[in-house]
Amino acid sequence: MAVCIAVIAKENYPLYIRSTPTENELKFHYMVHTSLDVVDEKISAMGKALVDQRELYLGLLYPTEDYKVYGYVTNSKVKFVMVVDSSNTALRDNEIRSMFRKLHNSYTDVMCNPFYNPGDRIHPGGPYFLCPYPVQVGPTSCVRSSPGGPYSCVRSSPAGPLITW
Amino acid sequence: MSHPAHRRPEYHKINKDLFVLTYGALVAQLCKDYEKDEDVNQYLDKMGYGIGTRLVEDFLARSCVGRCHSYSEITDIIAQVAFKMYLGITPSVTCNNSSRNEFSLILDKNPLVEFVEELPAGSSLCYCNLLCGIIRGALEMVHLAADVTFLQDRLKGDSVTEIGITFLKKRDEKKYRWKK
Repeated sequence: MAVCIAVIAKENYPLYIRSTPTENELKFHYMVHTSLDVVDEKISAMGKALVDQRELYLGLLYPTEDYKVYGYVTNSKVKFVMVVDSSNTALRDNEIRSMFRKLHNSYTDVMCNPFYNPGDRIHPGGPYFLCPYPVQVGPTSCVRSSPGGPYSCVRSSPAGPLITW
Repeated sequence: MSHPAHRRPEYHKINKDLFVLTYGALVAQLCKDYEKDEDVNQYLDKMGYGIGTRLVEDFLARSCVGRCHSYSEITDIIAQVAFKMYLGITPSVTCNNSSRNEFSLILDKNPLVEFVEELPAGSSLCYCNLLCGIIRGALEMVHLAADVTFLQDRLKGDSVTEIGITFLKKRDEKKYRWKK
């Protein structure tokens, strides 16, 4: 089960970050932040090969004693980072890939909302952005885009501060 | 002539995402240009009216439906033939009053709102108001005055999306003469 999920924009600021409310969320935010360096490293390493061969799924970014961090980057340089509990050995690579794929699909749906401006924060509340494994991430682990102007989200979200870096 | 003289009523399949996104961009731009939701609704209706007056010719040429004898027949044709032809959905028709000039189209699935999330409470924007304008324009071209509005909208939190068509009596109506 994912313990923390983050969507990072091209300019490396968070669009959406959510972690299990019981844990110290700052720790996860820090972990995701540090993983961005690894993501950049992987992208530049792969970039030397032909662009066609570059895969979206980056795999395990780095393991810590308690957690493992996985990364995924889209062609538009939007990064998805997922922190998973190390004790959960049953989670295989394929499952992580499918979780990222679902995340990517949800992100695409948010992007297609005509009232969402790319680069805006993605706020929880609507039916579109469903975390693939919602159990540990919070009761309403759905997200909706937060457009500027008169259509900003009204629904309140459960715990989870959005940190600005 | 831009179209060949003999047109076969064929349905060209294209990916609807571009169409849905285009409509979404249109509404989003209108919202940015006009501050009030009512103005946006009004402009969507006007644009739909322009589309409807032209679309009805295409519809009549392709569908070859016969003469209608009542308002309910017309509403059935709008729901079962026209909506099917242009949007691929078939709304259900209900009659709202005993004098049989007020009808409702209940849409259970609306392809235009596929990517849109719910509008905030209190918003009076009718996202698909273009459809109302289209129906109104089309009916006017066959000499039928009608009032078309959204009665319920899923985007605003209602359970279904309902378009209400009210046929208005024209003052100098000689006899029912319409072909649809």
